[in-house]
Amino acid sequence: MDASLFFAQFMSGLSRGMMLFLIASGLSLIFGVMNILNFAHATFWLVGAYLCYSFWYLMQDYGFGMWLSIPLAALTLAAIGGIIEVVLIRRVYKRELPEQLLLTYALVLVLGDLIKIVWGVEDKLIERPPLVARPVFIFGMPFDSYFIFVILVGFAVAIGLWWFLKKTRYGHIVRAAVFSREMVSALGIPIPRIYTGVFALGIFIAGLAGAVQAPVGSITLGMDMAVVIQAFCVVVIGGFGSLLGTFVAAIMVGEVYAFSILFWPQGALVLIFIVTAFILIIRPWGLFGTPART
Amino acid sequence: MKFKMTIIVCVFVLLAGLPFASSCLAGEAYHLGVDLAITGTGALYCKDGVDAIKLAVEEINAQGGFLGEHPIKLFIRDSHTKPDVAVREAKDLILREKVRAILGTYSSACAVAIKPVAQEYKVLHIPAISNSENITKVNFSPYTYQVVPNSYMQAKAVVVGVAELAKKKGWKNYVTIASDYEWGRSTQNNTVALLKQRAPELKLKKEFWPRLGETQFTSYITAIMGQKPDFVIGSVASKDNVAWIKQAKAYGFFEKIPYPGSLISVSELILQSKTLTRGMVGLCRAPFFAHLDVPMMADFVKNFRAKYERYPSDWAVMEYDAVYVLKQGVEKAASIDTEKVKDALKGATVDTTRGRLSFREIDNQLSCSSYIGVVADDPAYPFPIYHDLVEVKGPDSWRPEAEIVAARSK
Repeated sequence: MDASLFFAQFMSGLSRGMMLFLIASGLSLIFGVMNILNFAHATFWLVGAYLCYSFWYLMQDYGFGMWLSIPLAALTLAAIGGIIEVVLIRRVYKRELPEQLLLTYALVLVLGDLIKIVWGVEDKLIERPPLVARPVFIFGMPFDSYFIFVILVGFAVAIGLWWFLKKTRYGHIVRAAVFSREMVSALGIPIPRIYTGVFALGIFIAGLAGAVQAPVGSITLGMDMAVVIQAFCVVVIGGFGSLLGTFVAAIMVGEVYAFSILFWPQGALVLIFIVTAFILIIRPWGLFGTPART
Repeated sequence: MKFKMTIIVCVFVLLAGLPFASSCLAGEAYHLGVDLAITGTGALYCKDGVDAIKLAVEEINAQGGFLGEHPIKLFIRDSHTKPDVAVREAKDLILREKVRAILGTYSSACAVAIKPVAQEYKVLHIPAISNSENITKVNFSPYTYQVVPNSYMQAKAVVVGVAELAKKKGWKNYVTIASDYEWGRSTQNNTVALLKQRAPELKLKKEFWPRLGETQFTSYITAIMGQKPDFVIGSVASKDNVAWIKQAKAYGFFEKIPYPGSLISVSELILQSKTLTRGMVGLCRAPFFAHLDVPMMADFVKNFRAKYERYPSDWAVMEYDAVYVLKQGVEKAASIDTEKVKDALKGATVDTTRGRLSFREIDNQLSCSSYIGVVADDPAYPFPIYHDLVEVKGPDSWRPEAEIVAARSK
């Protein structure tokens, strides 16, 4: 294997990893702060993709249409997420995990049917602007220029989340709420509002991930179920609630997949599940998680 | 007196009602089940299929239904492109809705799963989109009829075209990419086996098997390009195919590596009209523009466009044909009785939008063609169609009967 092929495979693994990180980071954030295992996260991701399509459809005659559609979709979905948190999610914070899962699974079905009603069952396709429609050549190997954008968005979200949680006052409050809701509440900080904000942020990232995914292929019902398992694998490997863990695990899963395609094409997906099972056995709290989160 | 009068009136009413009662029996509705992927991987193809079935049913019902006296009542179910769901829905259609026939299915895995259920309950089964040859080659069911060129026929059509191209261009090696499920495996295995027979000098370098429902093909694209093959043969369908073609194009894949004979149906021609690389050699199953000289096809396209304001895809054509095949089976049997219709269709010659075709007795496979052509713009359509279209006829491409007998005896 020559160096250029190795690099091309590394880049495709990295782009896959970044796509997974975008999906899994919101899932991990919501679980880490709120202790809610949001089974509907990938369905929110799909709604983000459909919203992006709708915005793009309205602005398709303009060169900036796709670029503007991506943040608009994420923001719209964040607003929807905030409402859902207030109306539904808030009521199950103190319930057992199975009840939370049932509620969020019900959301999967409801959102799925809403997608059918609003967008129909036909596949939707977003045309990329010329800037990202052609390949770029790195060490002589072509690489889809759109995935450079995907990688940049992935890194931007990782850095943005890190900065938010570590460097801002709101982030400090969120981190404090993870360890003691009562103490934060005693300081006069409204916990429900913090949770609504965190849930909306998690859903914003899901919407951003969906919108970024939208121009990659076609948008269709059922896509969410195809990615949800891999997103959960990333969170399990990295450790529930660990942003760094999610980031490292996503890149790991992306690269394992990319290189196993090169050497063992039939076992690409199996390898990821083997790694997940292995981590679950030897370190159930994940590579970067803490035992308290198991 | 009053009692006698009541008896006489009752008898009179009963006698007067007899003709109506007999006409009610004669006019029994024909319950027709549809088990297609309204959602999931196959949704792209199945919407057209469902719409075409509805159109055919409307047309037939406008004439009173089957035999002019059995209006068709449709029951449409979503298989979610999952075999277990497809089977559950098929059973429900049979047991609760009392359907006499089931049309379907996207995903050969669904068709293979439904086949024994249909056979057990003696219900006709026409999986007009699924085309793995295993649906009719092995574990044969007399209740299952195929109106789509099967994976062997399609593979043979590809092989004929590819072998000629390889000779002309001096190609020596190739890789394959196929979706990892029943149809992908069956098509890919047949293509490789047939190519080995026809052009033994061609070397298969590597096989790639993306899972069904794959959304990101980048790692496959770079891995294939790294192999530096002379050409690539693909068996990827529906939304996976859209994603694969779109992403591969963004890598400049099709400009670097010939990709002859992959499935590019009318759905892809329409959906990717702006982005599809012109000059690609593609394969399809039932392009309407190949048979506009057949009055049935011309009428179908006209009516489909009038009703849905779009052109019909291959999937629409084949599902439409499936309903009319059923109609002709009923007419030949002069009954809606499933056993009689099944026997009537055995070896029958039927009129379809693709011309007059016949079912082969050994496997109930219709003698329909496969089509290979060059993707090119055409002023008559708002999307590219195939130019230099080669029609490989069913009898020239289907598996020899002796091989089917041998496969069944194993």
